Formats: sequence, structure tokens, C-alpha cells
Amino acid sequence: MKARPLARDRAFSQGSNRRGTGMLIYTLKRLALAVVVTLVVSALSFGLLYLSGDPAAAIGGEAATDADIANIRNIYGLDRPIYIQYLNWIGKALQGDFGMSYYFRLPVSQIMAARVPATLILGCSAIVFALIFSIPLGVMAAIRPNSWVDRTALFLSVMGQAMPSFWLGLMLIVVFSVWLPLLPPSGTEGWEYFVMPTIVLGYFAMPAIMRLTRAGMMEVLASDYIRTARAKGLLPGSILFKHALRNAVIPVVSVSAVQFGFMLGGSIVIETVFAIQGMGYLAWESIKRSDFPTVQAVILVFAVIYIVLTLLADLLNGWLDPRIRVT
Amino acid sequence: MSRKFSLFWMIVLFALILTASPAGAGKANDTLNILHEIELSSVDNYFNTDRWGVVLCHLLWDSLLYRDLKTGEYKPNLATSWKFVDSKTMEFDLRQGVNFHNGDEFDADDVVYTLNWVSDPKNGVKTQNNVNWIEKCEKLGKYKVRLKTKRNFPAAAEYIAGVMAIYPHKYYAKVGPEGMATKPVGTGPYKGVEVVPGKSITLAKNENYFAAGPKGKPSIGKLHIRFISEVNTQIAELMSGRADWIWRVPQDQAEKMAKMPKITVETADTMRVFFLHFDAANKKGRNSPVNKLKVRQAIGHAIDKATIQKTLVKGASRIIHSACYPSQFGCTDDVVKYEYDPAKAKKLLAEAGYPNGFEIDFYGWRNRPEMEAVMGYLNTVGIKAKIQYLTYAAVREKIRVGEVDMAHNNWGSFSIHDASAFTGNFFGGTTDDNARDPDVIKWLEIADTSVDPEVRKKNYSSALQRVAEQAYCIPLWSSNMNYAYTKDLNFSAQPDEIPRFFNSSWK
Amino acid sequence: MEFPPIPPVEEILGPSPGQLLRRRIFTHKGLMIGGIILAVILFFALLAPVLSPQDPYAQSLTTRLSKPFWHAESTWKHPLGSDHVGRDYLSRLLYGARISLLIGFCVALISGVIGTALGIVAGYFGGRVDMVITFIITLRLSIPFVLVAVAVVGIVGGSLKVVVIVLGLLLWNRYAVVMRSATQQIRNQDYIPAAEAVGCSTTRILLSEIMPNIVNNLVVVATLEMANAILLEAALSFLGLGVQPPTPSWGLMVAEGKDFLFFEPWLITIPGVALFVLVLAINLLGDGVRDVTAPENR
Repeated sequence: MKARPLARDRAFSQGSNRRGTGMLIYTLKRLALAVVVTLVVSALSFGLLYLSGDPAAAIGGEAATDADIANIRNIYGLDRPIYIQYLNWIGKALQGDFGMSYYFRLPVSQIMAARVPATLILGCSAIVFALIFSIPLGVMAAIRPNSWVDRTALFLSVMGQAMPSFWLGLMLIVVFSVWLPLLPPSGTEGWEYFVMPTIVLGYFAMPAIMRLTRAGMMEVLASDYIRTARAKGLLPGSILFKHALRNAVIPVVSVSAVQFGFMLGGSIVIETVFAIQGMGYLAWESIKRSDFPTVQAVILVFAVIYIVLTLLADLLNGWLDPRIRVT
Repeated sequence: MSRKFSLFWMIVLFALILTASPAGAGKANDTLNILHEIELSSVDNYFNTDRWGVVLCHLLWDSLLYRDLKTGEYKPNLATSWKFVDSKTMEFDLRQGVNFHNGDEFDADDVVYTLNWVSDPKNGVKTQNNVNWIEKCEKLGKYKVRLKTKRNFPAAAEYIAGVMAIYPHKYYAKVGPEGMATKPVGTGPYKGVEVVPGKSITLAKNENYFAAGPKGKPSIGKLHIRFISEVNTQIAELMSGRADWIWRVPQDQAEKMAKMPKITVETADTMRVFFLHFDAANKKGRNSPVNKLKVRQAIGHAIDKATIQKTLVKGASRIIHSACYPSQFGCTDDVVKYEYDPAKAKKLLAEAGYPNGFEIDFYGWRNRPEMEAVMGYLNTVGIKAKIQYLTYAAVREKIRVGEVDMAHNNWGSFSIHDASAFTGNFFGGTTDDNARDPDVIKWLEIADTSVDPEVRKKNYSSALQRVAEQAYCIPLWSSNMNYAYTKDLNFSAQPDEIPRFFNSSWK
Repeated sequence: MEFPPIPPVEEILGPSPGQLLRRRIFTHKGLMIGGIILAVILFFALLAPVLSPQDPYAQSLTTRLSKPFWHAESTWKHPLGSDHVGRDYLSRLLYGARISLLIGFCVALISGVIGTALGIVAGYFGGRVDMVITFIITLRLSIPFVLVAVAVVGIVGGSLKVVVIVLGLLLWNRYAVVMRSATQQIRNQDYIPAAEAVGCSTTRILLSEIMPNIVNNLVVVATLEMANAILLEAALSFLGLGVQPPTPSWGLMVAEGKDFLFFEPWLITIPGVALFVLVLAINLLGDGVRDVTAPENR
């Protein structure tokens, strides 16, 4: 049995003052790291994009001649060295100017602004869906480990993850849009359009969150602290919900943040299947048509969201468990 | 308590589902829900290269001329009469009493402005080929214009009728391509209601459309076009009644859908010809087996075109033997044909120095099952083709720089019914020309620019015969196109891949 | 005076750790089910050439889209039907087992080596080294994996090798994170400083002292990542970036079968179910290993 004093107790013993400055330094360190990661990611993506296609040819279109393409290269500054192009781009991006989409000939920020809501709604509903189902399942499984409840919970959560997401999505469409005309197969005009995509996307986060909740709960429930509380005669219900869950929830928070980040990336397949014109779909289609400014911008936005989420999760963890700040 | 609780939630759920926003169901609210799989880059006719742009060109705008599908003649549209003054000059009399959707009156200023603007390379019109033959357009009177071409261009009428939408000069000068892309204005049978870039386009019937035109008056009240890239989702939309019209339905699915009660499936040939494109001229000096004539001929004999066409392509498609589409002026089928003969193919390969075959990268970007079928046949004569399935832009680029030995290419000729749009494009010394045969280039030069139809036909014929003899490319088949739409719709498909919704109506 | 009979040594000492482990393994239902399924799939994969009715690459356009045996109009030439160019589905299923298992295993190997190395080093050395490695991990997580796949496929074209390398180079993050935290946890146990005091080389400590104690974590993550890799291959094939036809991988078969979802559903269902069973088995196995080797049970 491991003896782990609760985070709060140690923090208190250190004094709230030290906690304050320790927190500040920790936050600053993490923030600096986040910025550096963002810049490196965007630079790497820039490089990768150039390796994946020729933007001048993509802009030129079907019947562009060599002369046309050379002309385009000149006009758009695509013949300058890569790092110069990147610096130009990042300079403007920091001021909010993501340039013009090669494909749409509209400002990238305008295009993205139109697509962000759909992805955000999808991502948020998916993580909420995942949490609503996984946490109770995980708790139930932890209370009675190795029972049929435990096994069924694990099985259910793993089931959806054992199928390729596009298959699950298409199956749902077939059942709920064609056989039983209940839900629309595609689009985003109302809440019912998001039901199936949310299920598919959310299902993927479920196993990780469930397992983590279960493991965390089991560990805490077995700790000395809980045993003492039980021995003192506190009711099982209040132990569970006040103390155990709060401790078990720490890793769940950071994993949820990470899962949310993944889902933004995993949304490409789901947005394609359900024709949700969101950021994932935009990213994929833009990569295919070498619409570099759009891809850069979307990657930057995704990276920033992901990094911000991990940063928040880190900070939350650091606040709840000061030992983490030291590493 | 929990029983009543769950019953309550069931009722709520049902109520929500029933009251959820209903789909704009077709005939019931006079809206045709159309699906297309590629997001349009811009509604502006001159800034997109997708097929749907051509469709919108005919819906939102009019051209000076209009090609009659049945007779192949050019009918007056925005121009009431026209003539060739000399081999490089045309004059048009314009129709009076036509208004743009925003109320502006149509006259010579609009024609002059549009044609001069799009032909200026500075403005960056995407498909330069469509406009770079225009030298200048001059106003001769309020309803009369003169058009000068840079060189003899007998196909001018075809291009004018096909892709030259006339824009309102005041509006376009003010808003430019960005404005036209989001709020299009034209003279056409449908006017723009709402454009959500990359997502949907809504059009409404133009009640004031001039009835005397060749397109006739539109019948369907609204067209709501959405972009859905996943074919299965499109089919689900059609089957569940939320969409009314889809196209490019894969062959196998189309055949089965034809049996469904609420759906009509129509199949039509297209001008899109699929062919094997070889690097015959060894463009980059990479030395590949396909540089040798006998190898190319062997490949021609190795493929059982008839079986593939019958089992995979199906529908109204046809086997093509010559590097052009039969309806194109100048196209002829009187060329060397490569019959299915695997034994002969192996013999030719041995003679060329490859008795055990060889390996080759096989590039393509469309209709992968057909590529696989071709690959299977090549395999039986010893040629191990490795499929490289990429995007159109990627493959085309590689072909142009000479990195592709063999590609499964296709070309729709922008639905231009003139051999210059196909043969001229691939064998006339352009960047797409991987044969570089000086004789062919010479013949095509003459054929593309002569005004004498007989001279043109003769030279196209010589060029096509040489191309076939030398197997610079192996034409395979024309692509079949399947349309699936609700039974409530009167629609007829045309081989030029341009659905004419202004000629459709509800039953 | 009478003494009670002395029980044999084994009874006094109790079962050995090895025996305990074996007992736990055999009584753990999930582990056994997963293990057996995996063994069956492995068996079919190994015997594919013997069991397949036909060459999985052989086309037969005239018998394309034949129905599987449970339909009336099926043919015994194709017991599980045929695909859109007439290749036998049963053969492709059997050979596909090889490819899917190969992908899962190789990717797990490559990413496992990379991730474990990074994780252990980060956990053991801590400090700056840890910071750098954490930075790299965050970096890797922030780069959209589709972009890397597209870039690589754009340059060298798609193929089995490319898929394995791309996935292997991208999926190491969970290994790194788990191994890092596991290493951190045992970092300060008595035997590590003891080894350092004795003067063991770092490599020796990493390999002989740390590795054996966290190997169970590695196995758990490896099984989960194997399943992940197999599924990702299907997603890549859906996007056109995976294995190229005619290679019979289950992921590609599912992606190709998608186009026939409505009227020839067996084309997607058969490989889909196979994938499902494989991934499920791997998950059960992984969960089982974790349960059986978890510290609480020691």
C-alpha cells in the first residue's frame, strides 16, 4: 500500500506565500515553453508543407503553363528561400494577418472564422459526452474491481475504439439516417446534426478517461488516508465524492485536455464523413490542394489550442499538487 | 419514480426529434437540393477550375453565344447575330432589353469591359488558355462590339459559347473577383441568393430572364447546392430524401440505386477520355522502358479494354482508340488500333529487350479501380506496375517535369468540342507534351490555326494517326457518368457534363 | 510428546512468484480470451498460403463483387465473396492478417524503442535532460500527424514500408510518457542509488536495474499502441495515404469496402469485424497483463 499524503496538506505545510511565488515561476516557465513549442511546430509544419507539394502549381490550376507557374512563383514570392518566407509569414501572423488563401482568394482569417465554430462545438460536445459516460463508468468499475460491472464497462469503452472511426460513422449514418430516418447524415444546421459526429468522436476519448478514472479511484480508495477516514466512521458516500474523486480527477483533467487536442486532429475523418465544414476538414482539403497559407494558419491554431490546453492542465496539476512544480 | 422519469425523457426526446428543423424537402418547397463533392474555390467564373464552375457559368451568367446540344450550332444568346469579318476579327450585334440581376442594363460596355479585363494576364484569370486568345474588344455602338483575336482561332466561337460569362462592368469594377465570389451578379436564369464559401450556394429563379434566349425560362424556384466530399454520405442524403440530385455516382452503386422506388438513375457518356500517358520523349533523360516504341505497343496489346469497359466502367461509356473525343471537330477513329493480345504483347516486350518484363511506377489520380484492373493485365505479361495514387495537381506537375513514365490520365477538354482542346493540348509542343514529335507539332499548329475546315481535318488526321502508330498514348475509354435524382424531377443529362438545371422542372 | 507432521517445504514457503504469476494469468478471463484470439489470428496468418483458396492478388473481372457463402447467389470459388476487381476475399483476409499483424508489431517495436529510450533517459536523469525530452514530446503531440503522413507520402509515395516508418516515428509519445513516469517512480528506490554507489555504468543501470522493473508497463503500452497502429493504418487508407492496392491489409480492405457500404456491405464488414476482433483481443491482452503484473497484486 502506498502512503501518499494529500496534495493540499503538503502545500499548507509549505505556507501559502511560498506557494504563491512558486506558482508564478512555474507558470512563467510553462508559458515560455509553450511559446517556443508553438513556434517550432509552425516552422516544422512550414517545412513539411513545402515538401508535400508545389504551391505555385496548385495556384496555377489545371491548364497553367510553365510560364504561368513561373509567373505565379514570382508574384507570390515563392522563389525566395524557405526561411525568409517563413519569417515573413510568422511576422504577419503575429499581427493577425494570415494572408490570402491560394484556393479561395479570400483572407484566411475570414475562412477560418467561418469554420472554427463547427469544430469547437463538435470537440466540446465530444469531450463532454466522453466525460459524462466515462467518469461514472470508471467510478463504478473502481468500486467493484474485476466484477462483471468492471469487465462490461471496459468492454463497452473499448468497443467503439476497436473500429475505424469512419466505419463507425458510416454505420451510424446508415442506421439512423437511412433505415430509420431520425437524424440528418450531414451538415451543421441544428443540434441534431451534431449527435452522430459527437458520439463517434467522443467514443475515442472514452477508454483512456475511463481507465484513468478507474485506476485513479482504485489507488486512492486503497490509500491509508481513505482507510483512516473509513475507520473514523465517515459514510462511504461522502468519502467517495468528496475526497477520492477530487484526487482521482487530477490526471483525468490533464488527459481530457490532451484528448481534446487529439480530437481536433482526429476530427478530420469525422468532419469528412459527416460533411461538417470545420477546421479539420479545412486542413485536410487545404493540404490536398496545397493551399499553404490556410494549412499554416490552421496548424498554428490547432497547435496553440493544444498547447494552451496542456498548459492549463499543467498549471492546474501544479496548483493541486506542488510536487510537480519542482520537476 | 424512475419509470415515469425515463418515460418523460423519452417523450422529450421524441418531441425534440420531431420538431427538429425539417430538411428543405425538394418538390414540397420548390427547392432542388443539389450535392457536389468538391468545394468550389470561387463562384467567380474566371477564378475556379472545377467542373461546377462551368455549371454555375451557365446558371448565373450568359455568354454571347450558346451551343445547341442537339445540332452543335452556335445560337444567339446575349448576341443576336455574329460574323467573322476576317480571319482574326469577329463582330457581334447585342441583344437589347436585357438586365442584370441587380437591375443594371446590359450593353456593349459590359462585353468590352469583361473581355478586356479577363484577357489581361495581370488580372490572373486561372485558366489562361480560355482567355489568352483574345487580343482586344472594342465598342462599335451601344449594342455592337468587335472582337480581335491574337492569331487565327477557328475555335473562338466554341470558347465564347462555353466559358465566357459576361459580367456587369460597373459592379465588377467596384467589387472585383472577391465581391463576385460572395455576391455574384449576372444575366442568367438563376440569381445568387447566398454564398457560403466552400460550403453552400443558394440560387433563386430569375423571374425577369429573357424568354427569347436559347436557354428558355427556368422552372424550378430555388437551387440549393451543398458540398459533401464523402460519396456514401451523399448517397445517404439522397436515400433519406434530404437531397434531390447527386452525380458522379460510382457505377456499382448507381446500378443498385436504380432499383429504388423514389430514385431515378440516369447514365450518360462524357467527353472525359481516360488514357495511358507515356513519357515517350524521355523528357528528363531518366531512360525508361516506355521510351521504346515496342514497349508502348506491348502495353497497348496487354490490356483487355473491352472487358474492363464492360465490367467496370459500364454504362454509356465507349472504347476510345484515338487521342480525342469522337464529337470533337477534327477527331477521327481511323487510326491503328491495339487489340487485346497478351501473346503479342509478350513477344514485343521480348523484342524490345524485356523478356521478363520490368517494374514501373504507375501514376494516377482518379478511378483507382480502373487503374488496378489495368495493373492486373500488365502483371500477366510481366510488367509490375506500382500504383502511385496522388492528387491531380501533384501528378500533373510530375508529368510536366518528366518524372512520370506512365500515368492513368484523363482529360475532359473543358467540354470544348474541338480537337484542339485535346490533341492540341497533349501533343502540340506544350508542357503536357511528353512525345515531342516535330511532325505532330507541325500538323497540330496548322490544324489549330487554319480557318479552312478541310485543311484542319486533314492535319488533325495525320497527327492522330502518327500518335496512334507511335503509341505516344494509349486511349482507353470515355468515362461514364451516373446521375441519381428524386423521381419528382424532370431532368436530362448531357454528355458535356454540364447539368442544365434551367431546363429541369418538377413532375 | 507428539509433534504435528512437518508439511513439505513447498507448502511452508507458499507458491513461488513464477507459479503465482502463472496462476493469475490462467485465471484472468480477459487475458486468456485475448491471448487465445490472438493466437488463432497468428495461426491463420502463418498458414495463409496453405489455407487460401487463391492468390490474393489475382484479379478476375468477370467474377467481381461475388457474394459470400451465406447468400443464395454465391460461388464456392469465392467463399467469402470477391472485391471490386474480383480478388478472392477469403484469401485477402488471411494474407491481410499477416500485414495487419506485421504493421502492429513493427510499429510497436520502432515506436517502443524510441519512446522507451526517451522516457527512461528523461526519468532517470531528470533536470535539463528531462526538460528537453518533455519539450520534444510536447512538440510531437502538437504536430498534426496527418501533415507528416501527407508530406512523407507526397515525397516517397505510399507503401507498407512508408506506413510502418511514419507510424513508428510518430507513435512513440505514450511510451515516452509512461516510461518516464514509471522510471521516476522507481528512481529513488534503494537499489538504484546502491548501483550508482557501487559504480555501475549508466547504461548498465538503465538496462539491468530499471528496465526489468518497468517492463510490465512497457508491455501494456505496447499492446495498446499495437492496436492503435493497426487502426491508424485504416484511417490513413481512408485518406489515401496508407498501404497501396493490391496489398491486402485489413485497413485498406475496410477503406476500399467503404465505397460499397450500401449494397455490398460484406466488403467492409468482413475486414472490419476482423480488425475489431484483433484490436479487441490486443486490448484485452494488454489490460490483462496490466492487471496481472500490477504492483497492488504483488
